[in-house]
Amino acid sequence: MWFWGLTALAAATAWRVFRPYPAPPAGLRVLGAREYAFVSAAAQAMFPPGGALAPSGASVPGYVDGFVAERPAQLRLLMRLLFFLCEHATLVFPAPLSGSRLGGMRRFTGLSVEARGAYLDGWGESRLAARRLVFTSLRAILTLAYLGDPAVVRELGLAPKAIDTPVCQADLLWPRAGLARERIAYGPGDVTAPSAGVPLAPDAPLHPDYAPPRDTA
Amino acid sequence: MSGAVRIFADYTGDVYERADVVVVGSGPGGAVVAHGLAAAGHDVVLVEEGPPFTPDDFELDGARSMARTLREGGLRATRGYMLSTMQAIALGGGSLVNSAICVRSPQATLDGWCGDFGLERTTRADLDPHYDAVEKFLGIEPTPENVQGDRNLLFRAGCDALGYSSEPIARNVRGCRGSGECFTGCRSRAKQSMDISYVPAAIASGARVLTSVQVQQVTTAGRRATGVSGQVVRPFTGEPSHRVRIEAKAVVLAAGCMATPVLLQRSGGLANASGQVGENLQFHPGVAIMGVFPERTHPEFGATQGYQSLQFIPEGFKLETLWAPPGVFAVRLPGTGAELKQRLAEIPYCAVWDAIASCNRSLGRVRARRRGMDPALHWSFDPQDVQILKRALQVLAELLFAAGARKILPGVGRLPEEMHSLDQAGALRSHDLRADDLTCGGNHAFSSTRMHGDPRRGVVGEDGRCHDLDNLYVADTGILPRSPAVNPMLTCMALAHRIAAGVADRI
Repeated sequence: MWFWGLTALAAATAWRVFRPYPAPPAGLRVLGAREYAFVSAAAQAMFPPGGALAPSGASVPGYVDGFVAERPAQLRLLMRLLFFLCEHATLVFPAPLSGSRLGGMRRFTGLSVEARGAYLDGWGESRLAARRLVFTSLRAILTLAYLGDPAVVRELGLAPKAIDTPVCQADLLWPRAGLARERIAYGPGDVTAPSAGVPLAPDAPLHPDYAPPRDTA
Repeated sequence: MSGAVRIFADYTGDVYERADVVVVGSGPGGAVVAHGLAAAGHDVVLVEEGPPFTPDDFELDGARSMARTLREGGLRATRGYMLSTMQAIALGGGSLVNSAICVRSPQATLDGWCGDFGLERTTRADLDPHYDAVEKFLGIEPTPENVQGDRNLLFRAGCDALGYSSEPIARNVRGCRGSGECFTGCRSRAKQSMDISYVPAAIASGARVLTSVQVQQVTTAGRRATGVSGQVVRPFTGEPSHRVRIEAKAVVLAAGCMATPVLLQRSGGLANASGQVGENLQFHPGVAIMGVFPERTHPEFGATQGYQSLQFIPEGFKLETLWAPPGVFAVRLPGTGAELKQRLAEIPYCAVWDAIASCNRSLGRVRARRRGMDPALHWSFDPQDVQILKRALQVLAELLFAAGARKILPGVGRLPEEMHSLDQAGALRSHDLRADDLTCGGNHAFSSTRMHGDPRRGVVGEDGRCHDLDNLYVADTGILPRSPAVNPMLTCMALAHRIAAGVADRI
């Protein structure tokens, strides 16, 4: 009896963990299908469409892929474990608003958006410091990614302005990081006067990376 | 006489150099030493693991910037108590991505160092000539009024309303335009970070600068350091290529207080007869409160950190204004879903003020990991020091309401996420605050190779020279015997200025 019970539990766990996820978009650097699905689901819960800011969290998964890829191997592993933990910890901390305890034990990506939000809130408000820390880490990654969307920063009115950068003596000594010496952009005749300290105008043009997309219609 | 700088693409084979002095690390300590020695006519090689950055390399997005300019992708933290901390990897070190705060340590603090650590020549009067020299070279001035912006001026208004002293922060900045981008690199070229100030000046005086070189070992013969060895590493990936060997009459380690101990430990436990290498690691744990005001504060405009109050230094903390790239800034906002979005939408109405605390009872250690040169950091938060931050949080809350905030977000565990009046903020006073309730950053680190007059109790003497070796020096914040009470960069540079003069005299 015990044997069959344990076997069934092991099979259910394996099914839960290894059941396939939808194929992620092509071109991801590090995130696998499970991780991409988890981050997408978490972003939907964290940044639902509408509300005080128009952009949804649609840009978050792609950003998180780059964010994870640019970190050292050990941290990459920790972040992937974080996603795995949050995806499957519903087994131990079932999500509320799921109809039943069993329903709340579905994988995070299988929960409704409302249940995902309530589940994340549960982690954030936990009496266990470790659980709050997990939540804070996840929210930090997702929030960095959300604010990494120029549309969000622009809507907040916080987008960086375009700046005419002066050329100083140091700019004659090295090229952009990682490039060959021949790529030094300036010569002695290019050195300009240093900044005169004129405050940036509130209506100055935005940095090109943050400018609104041109209307191509 | 003019020196040269080598970048990653310049290395086509193993590197061998000889010099009078090799300086490891180009941050505020190393750059000042290299310049001082080169200007005195000595043959100097300055080694930096990171690459040089140009303004075109600066990433405006906070997370991307951290990945490129900070070690461990900007996600370094201590074990024990999890305190996030940072160390730059770039020519110019932390000065490239800090907010340029330059404050002299108070006389009482330095007197305390002298009394408690057997020092005789490190009073304020002793250091003032070195402070003067650095301030003059870098053009350190109080932040001008026209680039303060609302969130800095509101801080002054709050202090005025409560009768607290406040002042514009003195910074190594010339011609600030108020872009608020100190932490991602100054596109206005106004911040006088080491890569555009002391390092080019050192080169102009004949110093050779090797970038993208990771020093892994100090070589010795008896009581003398003979040089350093390491490898060329590719920018951003750290992939090794060629071997590097530099011989010198004197070695100055200025790799930062989290890296210098690792280097000494990797060199066979060098300079550690006292057992103090890597011990006594301290931080200025910082807490911040966000206030939301009725009108837009345009927080994107203004000096990143433009105003401060030294009123509470005797109580162990310093108050400052703060801004950061929006993404970095937003990670501490509470809530999820529509609630979180609402809070994000309030950022344009906010001002964030922080307190950094002198936590002299809270000590940690730096250890070499089994592999690589990144440190394993351990740090514990002493309960008495937590009470300093509790008091600081109370003062910050009072200041924000005095300045007109309609609500505050204290960011303290087991307390309401928002407080709408000073009465509600009284919870900060009555709260049984524990270290776990705080979300702290610790971006000033020091004391891991502390200066002490007694060779049994410290790693270096007042001249920065290791007690155990005749010609090995340390010139980073590791030598501070304990908290400088204020931001440590200027004191580090002043000590480096003095160390350079001492090295020049001895070689």
